[in-house]
Parts: sequence; C-alpha cells; structure tokens
Amino acid sequence: MSTSSTADARPTVAPPEGLAALDLFALGRQAAAARDARWNGRGFFVRNRPPATNVIVALPFRLGESDAERLARLGEIAAAATPPFGIMPAPVGEPFGLDTLRCFALCRLALPRVAHVLADVTTLGPRLAQMAFGFGADELYAPIVAERALRLGANANNPALTRKEAVTLIRGAGLVPCERMADGSLQEAAP
Amino acid sequence: MSFAGIRDKVRAAEPLSLEDGVALYEHPNLMEVGALANEVRERLHGDRTFFNRNMHINATNVCEASCMFCSFARLKVGDAGAYTMSHEEAFGRLRARIDAKDAITEIHIVNGLHPGLPFDYYTDLLAGLKRIEPSIHLKAFTAVEIFYYARKFEMSVGDVIAKLHAAGLDSMPGGGAEIFAPRVRKKICDDKCTGDEWLDVHRTAHRMGLRSNCTMLYGTIETVEERVDHMLRLRALQDETGGFQTFIPLAFHPDNNALMKLPAPTGTEDLRTYAVARLMLHNIPHIKAYWIMLGVKTAQTALWFGADDLDGTVQEERIYHMAGAETPQVMSPAEIIRIIRNAGRTPVERDTLYNVVAEGAALASDKPFRRDVRRSLEVVS
Repeated sequence: MSTSSTADARPTVAPPEGLAALDLFALGRQAAAARDARWNGRGFFVRNRPPATNVIVALPFRLGESDAERLARLGEIAAAATPPFGIMPAPVGEPFGLDTLRCFALCRLALPRVAHVLADVTTLGPRLAQMAFGFGADELYAPIVAERALRLGANANNPALTRKEAVTLIRGAGLVPCERMADGSLQEAAP
Repeated sequence: MSFAGIRDKVRAAEPLSLEDGVALYEHPNLMEVGALANEVRERLHGDRTFFNRNMHINATNVCEASCMFCSFARLKVGDAGAYTMSHEEAFGRLRARIDAKDAITEIHIVNGLHPGLPFDYYTDLLAGLKRIEPSIHLKAFTAVEIFYYARKFEMSVGDVIAKLHAAGLDSMPGGGAEIFAPRVRKKICDDKCTGDEWLDVHRTAHRMGLRSNCTMLYGTIETVEERVDHMLRLRALQDETGGFQTFIPLAFHPDNNALMKLPAPTGTEDLRTYAVARLMLHNIPHIKAYWIMLGVKTAQTALWFGADDLDGTVQEERIYHMAGAETPQVMSPAEIIRIIRNAGRTPVERDTLYNVVAEGAALASDKPFRRDVRRSLEVVS
C-alpha cells in the first residue's frame, strides 16, 4: 500500500492535567490512541532519509525536570508558526526507562501538530525504543542497513538495524510496520 | 477466554489456566496486560520494591555441558578463556568487599559443571566464606549443579544438599531451569538434567528447609505455550512446597554463543513476559527484574509490569556479560534506590529471605558491615 505522508494542522490540545499523578498505563493508552488516530496503527522506519526537507527536532531532557517545565518547553514548540515534522525525545545521560516513556507520551499529547514522534535507537537502545511505541512514538530512528555486524566488542552499542529487525520491532510493538520513502510516500511492510 | 474473563479470575484470585496464559501472551494490548499485572503486584506489595546488597562469585566456567545459549562455559581446562578460581582468590573477593565497608548480605555462587574438581572444592569454598563472614547468606549452586554433583560423586540429591548445607549453604538460586519442555531442552541443553530432575532438586531442597528461587529462559526456540507450561509446573511445585521466593524471567542474550543468529527478545516481549508471569504465578511472592540481564531501563520499566524486585548491587557478574550484556557489573545501593524512586516506587533493602534490612530514612544512611546472627532455616513443607 502506498499513501501520502502529510503533517496536518490540528489545533493544539492541552494534554491532560495532573500528569504526574496520572496512571502510567492511562498515560500510555492516551498517547498511543493519539498516535493511532493520526497514523491508523502504523509505525514507521526510514531507510533513505531525505536531507533537511522534513525538520526533526531533538528534545533534550534530563532527570529531575518537572512535568510543568517539560510542558512549557513543549508549549514553545507547539506554538511555533511552523511546527517541526518530527520530534525526538533525547535523554541527557543514561536514560531511565519510565521517565523516558513518560516524555514520549507528553510529546505525543502536547504536540498534535507535529506529525511524528521518533524513538532514537542510538540513545535508547532497541528495547526501550520499542517500548516507546506503547507511549505514543510512531517512528524508529536508526540507521537501516543491509547487513548488521554482531554487537560485539567495540561494536557492542551499534544502533544499526536491518530492515527485518526494524519491521520485527515495530510489529512486536503491535503496530503495522511501514516504510516512509524518500519521496514521502508510505510503504507497508509485507507480513 | 476473553481478557475480561481473565481479569475477573485474577481479581477473584483464581489460578489462571494454560489457555489463559497463552491468551495473555497473544492479547494485542500490552498496556492492558501490564495494568492487570500491576494490580496484582500492588495488591501483594504496594509500591514497595526490593533490592539487596550482594556479590557474585562464578568460581569456574569449565563446564561439561554444552548448552547452545551459553557464552560463559568453556568445555575443558586450558580452553581459551577457561578459568577456575582458587579458594584464596574467591575469599579475597569477599575480603575486598568487607575492607571496602560494603554491607553486603549475600553471595550468589553459580559455576560450570567442572569435571575435575572434587566435592571438597565446593564445601571448602562455602565453609571458607562463612569463616570470613559468618553472617553472610550463601545462595549457591543451581539445581543443575546439585544434580551433577549427585551423579558424579554418587550421592543422592538430598545427601549433596545436606553436605553443602552443613558447609554453609543457606539457599539456592533458580538458574538452570531454562524451559522445561523436553522438545526445547533436547535442542538447546540436551546434556544436563531434565525439567523433572530440576524440579525434583528444588522439591528436595524445600523439604529440607531451604528456600530457593526459580527462573525461565525465554527467547530461544520455545513457543508461548511452552513458556506458560513452564510457569504452571513451577506453580504446581510451589503449591506442594511453598519454597520458592521469587521468579526471575531471564531473557536470552544471543551474542557469543551457538544461537547467535536468533534475535534477542525485544522490549515489549520482556515486559509482556514479566506481566504474564505475575499473573500466572499467583503463589510465588516475588517477581524479579534482574537488571544485569534485562538492562537498567527495561528493568525499571518492568517495575510497573509485575516485577517488585531489582536483585542487588551484584559485582563482577560474568555469565551474562560473556553473552553480550552491556550493563555495568555493579550498581551502588544509591543508584538502585534512585532508579526505584524514579519509577515512582518505594525502595526496600532486603536480605536474601526477604526480611527487611532497611527502608525509609534508614536507607539513606551508610551502614557498617552487618554482623547479625544467621537466621535459622524454616521448614516449609
């Protein structure tokens, strides 16, 4: 299946209040539902990323910020005249699992005009990157290679994925894997 | 059965069936399964999340067995990377921790099946460690090792456990269970004890008053049905003896072993396995997210998917690191406490038998090395 990829211009919707007290699962469900409403249950990967045509903004965050501070930063991005095409939460230092997943959910809920929330395999590792799909992420950000060397020795943290690995991770997260092509079209991976 | 039906059974504290477990593995919404597992976790333990201060000693990696998933073992003395610690070397590691004022309460000892070591090597190892620190809890030797010693030294399993206990053994770790299904064992670990034999060693230990843990290796070639069957067999033994303290799902690591072409389990598979385990094993008190194997990030997340324990500070873990684990080999208590608190949980320092060592304000203080009296063992069946 091939369809067009467009970032729509939905009105900004305030994320739910009292995020800190919100049940983790409820937060994840809300963010995943927002993602699915936009992308119809699809999760993306990109082999040939077009240079600089679609702006992806990294969102550095570190442990200890309050939800209010994060939401304020997200509010600035949300209010931009031209919102970025994608946002990529980027934990500073060693990422903690739950803090990172909550940040993904906040991004998806607070930035309805941003088309994609990307999970960076380099920063998060493949396990946490996949978990982020349960919290609103919709795209795996990793070098997609024809053949990956074993993760041994100096290569232990190699973030590269084969196309099959990317498809497996996305499908394992319960989404339909879909390749975003250089021309912006979308190509669902065969089961 | 529908998910709603399973949820009703869980809330009524009814044991789940094989079909229920498979349905939980296949349920499309991981969050729903996780939330249900979290209900059970919080019903049992609230926000409390346990850890201990421990160290690992893997005294030898020479091992007659050639399990396909193992990266730790070396078949023969003299093979590249093969090692066997002298007693003094092992004792030196404990002395170093004591000298560093490290308040460890447990030593976890797991070894290869070394064909050339006498039985005295193991009893002297335990006795020597106890001489250095009588209060230390020795959690040592998997059921696979115990069974091997029984065969090799022509003793009953009960005699092996009794001699090790007399030398200082306090409880047993849960390793070596892998997957009980004969189909899987035949393919990945054909030359060590069967699932029934593994269970029988633990049954014997429980009847002698020892507590133990139990594990499941997932992510090799087993089916979802075989995972659930494994859990049910553990649950049945727990109904019989009550001797298991914690269940530890162990994710397969593919690097450096004969199964390196298999993909590693993914993050969502990890979380689902923890959640299903919490729901299936209603009679095993604790589910442990072993951070060494799972990675800190996934282990922390698992604290909301059924797990209530992060294991310990560890030190110099070798088995999973030789299989490609990228985690550090030690975490300080302060780091573990921070990880637990960041997850919105309440850290509780425990000993091996889940007695509370410290919680609340007491966790923040530096404590001297514990020299309390060794607990007497309780007969559990």
